Amino acid sequence: MDQNNSLPPYAQGLASPQGAMTPGIPIFSPMMPYGTGLTPQPIQNTNSLSILEEQQRQQQQQQQQQQQQQQQQQQQQQQQQQQAVAAAAVQQSTSQQTTQGTSGQAPQLFHSQTLTTAPLPGTTPLYPSPMTPMTPITPATPASESSGIVPQLQNIVSTVNLGCKLDLKTIALRARNAEYNPKRFAAVIMRIREPRTTALIFSSGKMVCTGAKSEEQSRLAARKYARVVQKLGFPAKFLDFKIQNMVGSCDVKFPIRLEGLVLTHQQFSSYEPELFPGLIYRMIKPRIVLLIFVSGKVVLTGAKVRAEIYEAFENIYPILKGFRKTT
Amino acid sequence: MAYQLYRNTTLGNSLQESLDELIQGSLNTYRFCDNVWTFVLNDVEFREVTELIKVDKVKIVACDGKNTGSNTTE
Repeated sequence: MDQNNSLPPYAQGLASPQGAMTPGIPIFSPMMPYGTGLTPQPIQNTNSLSILEEQQRQQQQQQQQQQQQQQQQQQQQQQQQQQAVAAAAVQQSTSQQTTQGTSGQAPQLFHSQTLTTAPLPGTTPLYPSPMTPMTPITPATPASESSGIVPQLQNIVSTVNLGCKLDLKTIALRARNAEYNPKRFAAVIMRIREPRTTALIFSSGKMVCTGAKSEEQSRLAARKYARVVQKLGFPAKFLDFKIQNMVGSCDVKFPIRLEGLVLTHQQFSSYEPELFPGLIYRMIKPRIVLLIFVSGKVVLTGAKVRAEIYEAFENIYPILKGFRKTT
Repeated sequence: MAYQLYRNTTLGNSLQESLDELIQGSLNTYRFCDNVWTFVLNDVEFREVTELIKVDKVKIVACDGKNTGSNTTE
């Protein structure tokens, strides 16, 4: 084997021993990501000088391409959310490395082994490249787990259309547990025991159902009211049932410095202790209003779905922990 | 003043006094129509100083009145 002899004299000292994976030509550029360095294989046939120059030129080109791609990646990462970015970055870096590997094969100057410019596709490098930032796969929230507190639903307001005109006086006179005072309010107020709810029934056939503690209970109660109306002789249907509002409450179990909270979150908070003892926090995403009290009790309202209540509480909990009263 | 009742009824859930009576007490049904309240109570004790009357079912019909208010039981 006279491969080492085939190298030009000035490169011989740098060439790696036969079969070694370390780059024979030192590429100690800080821009060069670790793990994607070129690993030139010993040359079989020698046209020595020109081949070496071509190798260097190709390496430089690939370096530039990698730099550009990484810069673009960084810009995108700064703009997008971390989760999507992390997934994309991993995919891009692996695909980038595979393209480097394939492009490295293009010149075909070495016929012995394929030029591997990257770790094998499908494997992630042992050390992350210095250029690509350490984007974790999971969102980089501070190392706090979920609060462990689940807000309890207290009230659900829903509406449904019975689909026919109703004679409220007939309903008030014949149904049990009904109130009707048209001078004060133009609807029949009816209540049932199970689920414990109140309904406002209007002459248009539309109905509001309040007081249920869960979505299913609200729907069930609305159906019961519809059945009552149906039994009185009206052709009641059950159209467009929709939950309009959900209210939840929970306790963070520590006192809160409302004054501090309103100072730092003034664009979201309003706190007027002379008017109301609770701080009113209007969260943008999700669009939920929270009533936060000194005792640590929190009321959440304005949700259309249960998940919004939970999400809002998970958002506010770390903020509240930051304003815990220490005295 | 007309809004007070409005507030009560539109909230609906906040004051469920009638329903609380239903659960705790002996109120069977209630009705309010044409300014007339009608209640049906079960297992009622009427207590006067000397007398005690126990009844399974009482229907109370009450009208709003300035000077008169009628009360009939059966």
